[in-house]
Amino acid sequence: MKPVFPALLLAASALAQNSPYPVDVPAARIVKALDEPQNWLTYFGDYKGVRHRALNQVNTANVKNLRVDWIFQIPTTGRFETVPLVVDGVMFFTAQNGHAFSVDARSGRQLWHYQYKPAEGTADGLNRGLAILNDRLYMGTVDGHLVCLDSTNGQLLWNTEVASAKAGYSITLAPLAVKDKIIVGVGGGEFGIRGFIDAYDAKSGQRAWRLYTIPEKGEPGGDTWQADSWKRGGAPTWMTGTYDPELDTVYWGVGNPGPDLYGQDRLGDNLYSCSVVAIDPGTGKMKWHYQFSPHDTHDWDANETPMLLDLPWKGQIRKLLVQANRNAFFYVLDRTNGEFLMAKSYARQSWLKEFDAKGRPVPLPNTEPSEQGTRLCPGLAGGANWMAPSYNPDLQLFYVPYREQCDIYFSTPPKFVEGKAYWGTATRGVSDEKEWGVVKALDPLTGEGKWEFKFYHAGWGGTMSTTGGLVFAGDADGYLVALDAKSGELLWKLQTGSEIATAPITYMVNGKQYVTIASGAALITLSLP
Amino acid sequence: MRLLLLLMAAGALSAQSRDLAAGRAAFVSNCAFCHGTTGEGGRGPNLTTAQSVHGRDEASLRRVITRGVPGSQMPGFGNFEEPSLTDLVLYVKSLSSRSAGGQAIPGDRAHGAVLYQSNKCAMCHRIGSEGSVFGPDLSRVGAGRSAAYLRESLTKPAADIMPEYQGVIVTLRDGTRVSGIRINEDTFSVQLRDLTQKFRLFQKDEVQMVQDAPRSLMPPYNLPPKDLDDLVAYLASLQGGPAGNQTRQAEGIR
Ligand code: HEC
Ligand code: HEC
Repeated sequence: MKPVFPALLLAASALAQNSPYPVDVPAARIVKALDEPQNWLTYFGDYKGVRHRALNQVNTANVKNLRVDWIFQIPTTGRFETVPLVVDGVMFFTAQNGHAFSVDARSGRQLWHYQYKPAEGTADGLNRGLAILNDRLYMGTVDGHLVCLDSTNGQLLWNTEVASAKAGYSITLAPLAVKDKIIVGVGGGEFGIRGFIDAYDAKSGQRAWRLYTIPEKGEPGGDTWQADSWKRGGAPTWMTGTYDPELDTVYWGVGNPGPDLYGQDRLGDNLYSCSVVAIDPGTGKMKWHYQFSPHDTHDWDANETPMLLDLPWKGQIRKLLVQANRNAFFYVLDRTNGEFLMAKSYARQSWLKEFDAKGRPVPLPNTEPSEQGTRLCPGLAGGANWMAPSYNPDLQLFYVPYREQCDIYFSTPPKFVEGKAYWGTATRGVSDEKEWGVVKALDPLTGEGKWEFKFYHAGWGGTMSTTGGLVFAGDADGYLVALDAKSGELLWKLQTGSEIATAPITYMVNGKQYVTIASGAALITLSLP
Repeated sequence: MRLLLLLMAAGALSAQSRDLAAGRAAFVSNCAFCHGTTGEGGRGPNLTTAQSVHGRDEASLRRVITRGVPGSQMPGFGNFEEPSLTDLVLYVKSLSSRSAGGQAIPGDRAHGAVLYQSNKCAMCHRIGSEGSVFGPDLSRVGAGRSAAYLRESLTKPAADIMPEYQGVIVTLRDGTRVSGIRINEDTFSVQLRDLTQKFRLFQKDEVQMVQDAPRSLMPPYNLPPKDLDDLVAYLASLQGGPAGNQTRQAEGIR
């Protein structure tokens, strides 16, 4: 692919405005996604997961005038966790229960609608979005399939089974398109699956490779699982990863080991659960891994965004991977080799004593779940979770949405039955204090907090940052807010009418900037009057 | 299966307790994650009370467990096979039978009703269509709670306050304090119902302070032991009438 200049792309897309079809998003365009801030080409908006846009038409001075421009109502119920894609004036998005839509990004008028029909059962379950490559869209399904749609009419081009729904697998994430492949991970960690990351040929749907996130006996790391616990050890890969085109490396967060809260039948570190893995997208070979929570028993998975930043570390620009992990720590790793550089807690935590020199956590005593219950922070849901963080490069601030909540962790031995919940029991919220939600701005080099904005309830909303000096975030009670990126001051809010459990995007069509958020059964798009 | 159940009900006590144990095991590995190890609730609702949105009879439980509650976190467990499903249903059903219903409660119910009047409980509570909706509707409180729980509700009201009856205190700019039951609170606003059953609505940026009430908004009652027994017996007998929530909804009261 020849390099394409952003200016040319802008001109091309402006020309294409009145006849947006067919859209064409070759891989080279995704590599330079941040150079076309008018579009939103991947789940995170770009490969590095920064969720930041160089759009400032909506800014700190005028955001108070932001108002609803159009609303698209989806014909289904459940939690609407989608993040839309926008390509040259056309928006593509999924809804839970197997739906996908294409609409005019200026008006919300529908171009086509696709409904996934599984061979057996129903398509009921949540979905977080699509990947686009060239003129095709890719969508995971609750029953463990990956489907390919024609972006011009929503027609099914191929449908491949990734993993068996009967065995507890599902796909809720937005796939990641890298070069000529579509990369997906799986959910099902609570159901005794064996996690993996797969790549499929974008054209044919043929599987190119599979990387199990749990090694077999005899493979490196295989000895970190007791007996045959590796066969159902979880380590799911249910959130989209990031990609560094220069290093040609994909970074993917791996979930917790199962049974979640009972570790006595899986003694050992349980690699590569609760780790980030670096993968060669051509072969699926693992380049390195770093394990945040060895032998986790608290459901503190590592599926949170592995964001890629290039920053001066001790005076020298380094290729970093940062993650606000579910275990309440913010980590900085060297993404060329996985070296642990720093970790600092961003939320209340009561489990860690210290990190050793290699970055292995040393837990405090009596922090394991127990039959009578162990009180610990953060709670089972985190800390951070799938709520997207974002990063403003001008201010060098990392914005992390998280839950301030402690739980009482219980544990009893579970019995394994294929495809059934395999948790090892439960947590209970503490009764002597309320949970709350936070958006916090961190210096990514030190983990120091610069400001924080509190929500009354702990929620599932993500963030998005713009050069307009704004951070957008959503909360459990349905508020979409715009905060001053420098100070965290509230500048604007909208009550959307339902819990927000996903992150906003922004885009531009014909010189007008829009902000879109899914809430309830509505995809709400805002603009200035 | 139906036959077997009938046989069990007919007195095969040990068989029944074994099935409950199997049901409990299924519950611990499948449901405890959300409903707590003993069904007391967590991510999902408390299953140990007789108060139920979807019903506690066998058919309703079977339906909720196999189909889930669409649009909620309650998943459908379509792949439970017999006899596990029946074991589980019976176990879940047994959780809620710890309510006052059926237990012999010492005390004079009729005198309890008199005490209910003389202590002006109706200032805050409703039974059937009589009284106030400030506090919980008591029309079915005997079906949903154990006698011990009812007793504690009178002597130590703060011991267990349902979240929807949490008290909240709003301090206005001029220093006036308004307290009531929190109907709703979020980052920017709070809505409460005061003792006169009026809604009071506040935007947080227009008041000085919003705090949780440190205690229950129900005063503790220090009654002579016999009176306490009588009042508990009366409350335990409240098992129906017009369902409180329906009354309230019909009157547009939340
Ligand atoms: C992932 C969390 C989760 C799991 C696992 C779960 N539940 Fe639930 N359950 C819920 C939620 C949330 C509700 C409330 C649904 C609603 O909105 O009405 C619920 C509701 C129920 C109800 C109806 C309660 C009522 O008031 O009528 C029953 C009965 C129930 N669950 C039983 C079970 C059983 C039995 C299992 C295990 C087989 C189970 N649940 C597993 C979350 C869960
Ligand atoms: C000033 C108002 C007020 C008065 C008077 C009052 N209550 Fe209450 N009551 C409440 C509130 C508010 C709650 C809920 C908070 C709590 O559980 O502490 C409550 C809770 C209860 C409960 C628990 C209900 C449940 O579903 O668990 C019972 C039972 C009860 N009251 C009985 C009585 C009786 C009997 C009297 C009279 C002797 C009485 N109350 C007088 C306000 C009042």
